[in-house]
Amino acid sequence: MRGRSGRGSGHVFTSVPEMANAATESETTSTARAPFAPWDRRDIPGSFSVEETARRVGNYKWTEMKLFEALGGWVATVPELDVKMRLGTHCYHHAWHADLWHQRLPELREMKPERLTVPANDAMERFIEAMTEPEAPELTIEKLVGVYRVLIPRFIAAYTYHRNNTSEITDAPTIRSINFILQDEYDDWRDGEMLLQSLITNPQHVQRAAAHQARLEAIMVDAGGITGADSIGTGFTTSTEGGA
Amino acid sequence: MTDVSTAKVTVSPEEFTFVKYDASEIATIVAELAAQLEISNRINVVVNETTPLAKVYEEIDGTSSDATITLHAESGALEDRKHPMSFSAKDARESLGRILLRAHDRMQPGFGEAPDDLDLTLAENAAWDTYCAGRLTRMGVAVNEQRWRYNHRNRFGFNDDVDTKFARLWAADDLAWSDIADGG
Amino acid sequence: MRQFFPVEDLARDERFVQTNMAERMKDGRTAIDMKESSAKSRGASKRLTPERHDASDAARGLMHGIMVGEIQALEGAGRTAHDFAAGDGSNDTVPFELKLDMARQAWDEARHVEISAKLSDWMGTELGEFAENTVLFEAACSDDPILRLAGVNRALEGLAIDVFTQMKEFGDIAGDPFLEFCEDWMLADEVTHVKMGSDWLRKVTANDPDRRAKALEFQQVVDKLFSFGGARGESAESSFSLARRFRELAGFTDDEVDVISEMDNEALEERKEAIRKYREKVGAEPVDA
Repeated sequence: MRGRSGRGSGHVFTSVPEMANAATESETTSTARAPFAPWDRRDIPGSFSVEETARRVGNYKWTEMKLFEALGGWVATVPELDVKMRLGTHCYHHAWHADLWHQRLPELREMKPERLTVPANDAMERFIEAMTEPEAPELTIEKLVGVYRVLIPRFIAAYTYHRNNTSEITDAPTIRSINFILQDEYDDWRDGEMLLQSLITNPQHVQRAAAHQARLEAIMVDAGGITGADSIGTGFTTSTEGGA
Repeated sequence: MTDVSTAKVTVSPEEFTFVKYDASEIATIVAELAAQLEISNRINVVVNETTPLAKVYEEIDGTSSDATITLHAESGALEDRKHPMSFSAKDARESLGRILLRAHDRMQPGFGEAPDDLDLTLAENAAWDTYCAGRLTRMGVAVNEQRWRYNHRNRFGFNDDVDTKFARLWAADDLAWSDIADGG
Repeated sequence: MRQFFPVEDLARDERFVQTNMAERMKDGRTAIDMKESSAKSRGASKRLTPERHDASDAARGLMHGIMVGEIQALEGAGRTAHDFAAGDGSNDTVPFELKLDMARQAWDEARHVEISAKLSDWMGTELGEFAENTVLFEAACSDDPILRLAGVNRALEGLAIDVFTQMKEFGDIAGDPFLEFCEDWMLADEVTHVKMGSDWLRKVTANDPDRRAKALEFQQVVDKLFSFGGARGESAESSFSLARRFRELAGFTDDEVDVISEMDNEALEERKEAIRKYREKVGAEPVDA
């Protein structure tokens, strides 16, 4: 089996004993097949333990909830009809993601999902407050920038890191959910970015978008990302606050 | 060209109670339309302000310029739909323009067989509306073509043949009643 | 963002002009035949069918009303998904799954806005052509999420079932290839929304009969408002009727529908009385057709 070492909490394999395969060349008359077809290269090692996975999933769920609540709440506040409709559609996407994570948590031995449905740290909570602060009807640009130029790219990064680093075999259910969710994230990101490009039509709009993005990015850097310091495996954060 | 004067136009009621309409404004619009159509007849405009519906029809008691034209309009036909009970000059021009065109048509040869407005079938009504609305557009009156296409389709059917006939009626200028009666 | 969002702040572009029930009821005009004997006129029934002389324009007006209603339903569902924290349903919380259902409803209503906008285009109606009555969002403004469910998922969606059924039949009779198709798809969603509301109302108030009674009372108030002065009803003087069959599919009992029908009649008679009084006051007589 391929050895793989992963950073982050959880087991680290430096060398792994060979695992027996079902068939050998001397058994050519047997109909028994190897448990893994030659093209199936999935392997056991993964960076995250059950507990670490549950922690991250709890952070994902909390953040997807905050996002769908924000999108739903903003529908009534934006005058642009096409934006209104998109926000309603995307609200459901992220609610569904939150539900997938809600169902995953008990499967990761967390029988009280609300216990882990928390922000990664205080900075993430501040991020959501700052992201949802614009309410006035003339602030559609700010609302969309917060979601589509800051939060959703962070989701894409965190989910991609998690999918690529968790065990393909033991944590297959999380990978399956992430694959579905990532498709939504890409589609929603594209929708939001196109709306923004159609709304940002002069230098003042550019300034507003850039200023708001910078403000939110600074808080997100402080948080380290959606799951805190090790959201994408770089272990970087400016926050000195403890995680959940 | 006939002088734009409201002298031959009367509007009833003179004072409105249920809606915020002005009789002189209505008279001016009718006079302008009449001038464009070179109609010099006396015109009475009767507005039923007790209903919000939008039915309009005309009556004419002859075919010469001495005939009196009566335009009947339920208040909804002249109403600003964004501000209920308020007047819309745009909609008034369109609604009254349609029935003034009908009255004009009735004074032309080829319309002797046309039934009175209240005796028209729904389909005949729709066809004539299409013919009038198309001409109103060319007179510079704001008209929503799709609205009238939909109305025409509702009466004659949703198919390409009906759409072709609609387009023909819409673009026409000098038709007789027999050209209109079956939908074009 | 504020927890609760007032109806006065609903965001719209410049095409839309908003009104409310109070303004609407100031209108002393009526399409109802106030005379004992009907005058000779085509289409004495007010029911929205292709036989009405103003069928196309009446359908256009109703479709515009549907569209702005869907916009408000989308906004209401979005707000309910936002306004209450996930919890056990007590105080200011709602079950997590209820929030998910509201998000799902927001998606459904967004689709309905899309459908209605396309149909408006098909019928030759401009967006914002008619005044927008905000009474629908007002039913979604309560601080109590259970009252919102009663007002929106039972009363408002019940109204939607009635209106869509009427439009579906209209489209079917007229042979419109899109209208019947679209209304039927939207009807399927509305049945889901009513069931959602009924189920949650029952679950969240399972141990709180007072709260349930208050919710049902609120629903009746809203149901009567949504009769729009008898515009909905089983009388020929009403533009659209109660869709009994689809309401039954959605979980309304016969008794519940009968109560709504009675309230529709009451609303119609109250409206007639208000018109009579107004006419006496202004000394006006209706003009013969």
